[in-house]
Amino acid sequence: MAQKTKKRYAMVLDSRKCIDCKACIVACKAENDVPLGVFRNRIIVEKAGEYPKLRMSFDPEQCHHCENPSCVRVCPTGASYQREDGIVLVKYDDCIGCKYCIIACPYDARYHNPETHTVGKCTFCAHRVDHGELPACVETCPSKVRVFGDLNDPKSELHQLLASRRHQVMNPQTGNGPQLYYLL
Amino acid sequence: MREPVWEYLIVNYLFLGGLSAGLFFVSALATWLQEEGRPAFPHIARWGALLAPWPVSLGSFLLIFDLGKPFRFWKLFFTFHWQSPMSIGSWLLVIFTMLTMAYLWAWLEPEERTRLLNFIPTKVRQRIPVKVVKWLEHDLSFWRRELAMAGFPLAVSVGIYTGVLLGAVQARPFWNTNLVAQMFLFSALSTGTATLILVRLFDKKQPVALAEMRFLYTLDICLILIEFFIVLPYLIHGKLSVLAVQDALAQVLGGPFTFTFWVLFLGCGLLTPLLIELYEFKPVLLGQGPLHINPRWAITAAGLVILGGYVLRYVFVFAGQASGFR
Repeated sequence: MAQKTKKRYAMVLDSRKCIDCKACIVACKAENDVPLGVFRNRIIVEKAGEYPKLRMSFDPEQCHHCENPSCVRVCPTGASYQREDGIVLVKYDDCIGCKYCIIACPYDARYHNPETHTVGKCTFCAHRVDHGELPACVETCPSKVRVFGDLNDPKSELHQLLASRRHQVMNPQTGNGPQLYYLL
Repeated sequence: MREPVWEYLIVNYLFLGGLSAGLFFVSALATWLQEEGRPAFPHIARWGALLAPWPVSLGSFLLIFDLGKPFRFWKLFFTFHWQSPMSIGSWLLVIFTMLTMAYLWAWLEPEERTRLLNFIPTKVRQRIPVKVVKWLEHDLSFWRRELAMAGFPLAVSVGIYTGVLLGAVQARPFWNTNLVAQMFLFSALSTGTATLILVRLFDKKQPVALAEMRFLYTLDICLILIEFFIVLPYLIHGKLSVLAVQDALAQVLGGPFTFTFWVLFLGCGLLTPLLIELYEFKPVLLGQGPLHINPRWAITAAGLVILGGYVLRYVFVFAGQASGFR
């Protein structure tokens, strides 16, 4: 019998399947009650080339739930923390709204919540994941860009994709160890 | 990052915290240097002691005001995270402010202390325990030198911490070099010196003595020179660094902060006061006699140093937040 190992949640994104429909953004907003004007996820659109040789790329992005999150390190009250399974969260009751973590995040994944005056971010829908469900953005994606799972589970689709396909992370030079894997 | 999340309140705080550190440092130095068993520059020391607690107190207030949840600021003091510069800094600020208050108390004459205590309404005063009153009446003036010595490392820490707060963030290449902390420290000490030059020149009761000006000028010239030779390698190394740092520096090398950085900070805030002070100091350097004191020039130089200190913090806070890895 295989030994039970610690979970490590991560996400694989196949950007080439993304059609920029923004359903993930809407699903996240609805699921997590994200206020107007701020977002927990987004799609980076890049255009390149000259007519008629044009190329356009869509890269969905959100919190990378880094291995060494700089936002957690700089937090003066310990409100920002990392769970055992790698998910980076904010204890809203301990957040004083100093915004240091927003500045310390190299991926600009955090925002100042204009309603609660604390800091908000993607939670990987921890409240759903804990019940065995998928994050809202993953479940809703019509072109199946997103695969969520446990890196330490060899049977997971995520693990198999990473074992068989070439992939990269965004800006590894930040030293944060981001955990959103983009298939090439 | 698109929109800056730290704005003028933080710029003001970084400036005011540094100013207090500078005022205390110069005052402590003036206390520590002795001539025939007495402080060599008592007027400088006293003015520094009288002024030092206030900018940092105002700055800390602004800092709390900048929080999204100002009434939760106490949470900072029920925990300590040694990896978070802000956690270290908030403790440092409290200890430093308390020490500057004690130092101020030590520099007050007994009559002044009594007069201050008399400001408290009689009803309230009667309720203060006798122990506390006796404790407040203690003559701390013998402890001036010891308090000054204890305060040196704290003042330097507060001065350098304002730079570390920015420099310790690897996500912002404009800040994340090993020169920002020193730049902020020496700029802070220099603004403190300049403020004391201004105060001494405007003090009509005890007109400034030649030896005092010589002390302040010597100090300021050294501090400005050190700061200049930190800014220079900051620019050169940055320009020769990796792409992210080059992109960040482009903001002051042709980007939106070019004028502010080169003209207001480097030109007006650093090199002009240095030239003025060197000109005034020239007779001493060449052995031709005492330094000139032209109050107008001295006031201009000191004012420009203070302006430069403020502009430096403005440029760093805003340009730093606009820098990133893409």
